[in-house]
Amino acid sequence: MRCGRAQEWMAAALDGELSPRRRRALDRHLTTCDVCRADFADTDRVLRSVAALPMEATVPTALEQATMRRVRVAAAEEIERPTRWGWWPLPVAVAAMASVALIAVGLVGRSGNVDTMPTATAPRVAGPVATAVPPAPPKRVARAEGRTPAPVPNEPPPQLANAPDLFMELPILRNMEKLEHFEAIRTTTLDDEPATPGGEEPPSNG
Amino acid sequence: MKRRTTIALLLLALATPAAAQQWGGRPWQQLSPEEQQRAWENYQRYQQLPQQRQRMIERRYQQFQAMPPQEQQRLRQNYEAYRGFNPGQRREFTEKYRRWKSGR
Repeated sequence: MRCGRAQEWMAAALDGELSPRRRRALDRHLTTCDVCRADFADTDRVLRSVAALPMEATVPTALEQATMRRVRVAAAEEIERPTRWGWWPLPVAVAAMASVALIAVGLVGRSGNVDTMPTATAPRVAGPVATAVPPAPPKRVARAEGRTPAPVPNEPPPQLANAPDLFMELPILRNMEKLEHFEAIRTTTLDDEPATPGGEEPPSNG
Repeated sequence: MKRRTTIALLLLALATPAAAQQWGGRPWQQLSPEEQQRAWENYQRYQQLPQQRQRMIERRYQQFQAMPPQEQQRLRQNYEAYRGFNPGQRREFTEKYRRWKSGR
């Protein structure tokens, strides 16, 4: 097998979507090619680390509102009294709070593997922000709704401009085999074998 | 000289539609603002994927484009059903997928 072919099959192999025969061929190649073996290990590591990111967490309404209120107040004070604190403290405070908000938003964007689709679903917000949860009624916020999404650039990148539908359909493309054989898979019977080790899901799940 | 310039301009004008034609689908301008936003967000996710995975998705897109509209619709409906799964159902489906895959 040539390295190019091996590269093509690696992602499918890691998703468990490669046929057993191809998988054996790939494995044979990997035993003989150091470069592809390293590449395969790298890809595996990246996909695992992405899959290991926290999937979702709740962000209480109170925390969200309090943070935004403080940002607004600090910004308003900065406008009213630009020289009181000299040039740095308030901007730094605003920047710090904005950074916290942005990091939370960024984690939300990175954590999920359900790509944006038009329909409404159970809203989610990611991860580590949950560590600062005060006792307030939690609100589950859609990842796409619970933050200000990055604005679409006036001039989209060429790849996006040339094939916008590719990106519109991305969630389907990522799970295409499952969706093509959805009924057959759904009606597959499981025996008493243990479930997925560690309860993990493969990275291609959407 | 004038003719060369005209040809060059013509080629330039044709370049973008030709690229879009290669991939099929609608031009960017025909997407609604919501669709543009969604495509943009998915584009950013796509950019984070390893290159082999990006190539795989491009191949799948070409397969998807070649499918009859009813088949595309069926896949969309299946995706909606899949999205509706709770975590337990999703785990079960994943396990069934592996079982189904190994039995092929």
